Amino acid sequence: MESRKEEFEATCNLFINSVSNYFKHLTEIDSDMKVPYLKESDGLVLKDFTGMIGISGSRKGFVYISANREMFADLINMFIGIEDPSEEDILDMAGEISNVVAGNVRANLGANFMISVPTVFEGMPPELNIPENVSMYVIPIKWNNHEAFVVLGLD
Amino acid sequence: MKKKLLIVDDSSVMRRTIEKNLADYDLEIIGQAANGVEAVQMVMDKRPDVVTLDITMPEMDGIACLEEIMKINPETKVMIITALADKLTGLIALDKGARGFMYKPVNADDLARSFDKLLKRDGE
Repeated sequence: MESRKEEFEATCNLFINSVSNYFKHLTEIDSDMKVPYLKESDGLVLKDFTGMIGISGSRKGFVYISANREMFADLINMFIGIEDPSEEDILDMAGEISNVVAGNVRANLGANFMISVPTVFEGMPPELNIPENVSMYVIPIKWNNHEAFVVLGLD
Repeated sequence: MKKKLLIVDDSSVMRRTIEKNLADYDLEIIGQAANGVEAVQMVMDKRPDVVTLDITMPEMDGIACLEEIMKINPETKVMIITALADKLTGLIALDKGARGFMYKPVNADDLARSFDKLLKRDGE
């Protein structure tokens, strides 16, 4: 029987593959995954803008993607040709990439892996509640010279 | 006569991406909606021929919206474009009347292939 650690790592790998596929398929530029690490839930690892998805059903927790404005602006420019997007567009882009990365994992985990609509924010909102006793797996990525974090928290 | 297209997705970047990538098709974009409730209202008011429909949206999700659209006009050609990549969601959508199904991330080539099929199937 698969141990919880192996199950968690297998789930993390699904997210890593999902992120890689997103960038490769839409931009034809590979993303670079740095060495992932585990972080206890004593605060979040954040860049300036974040899109977060709640996970329920067969697993419970969250996943978020956080990056600086420039990365989301680059994606928006590639997709719709806007060079100076609004803050609303940046937050929208953060939510959409998080949604796609989380939703694609259902190809392997099935429809019982349920995801919420994205929550998007700039900086660290004071009202954000992260469940206690959640181990967070932090996946640093680099795409097109931009650094970002994909963070998966599962109970 | 151009077919009328409604684009439904809670991401405005995604809606504009779809609009841009379908610009060369003989489609008149009659509106964009950010959730299922807005989409149902637009379907009632504007009677689109073709709808691109996301599933994970606030207010009313795409599956519930699809059911409402089929009640209003079952001839509406609905193309689901969703991040939910499991087979069950696709089968449910097709069973409820969707004419096509695409998994995000969707690039310009993916959209072209799917819309070529969708519009050809209708004799265009």
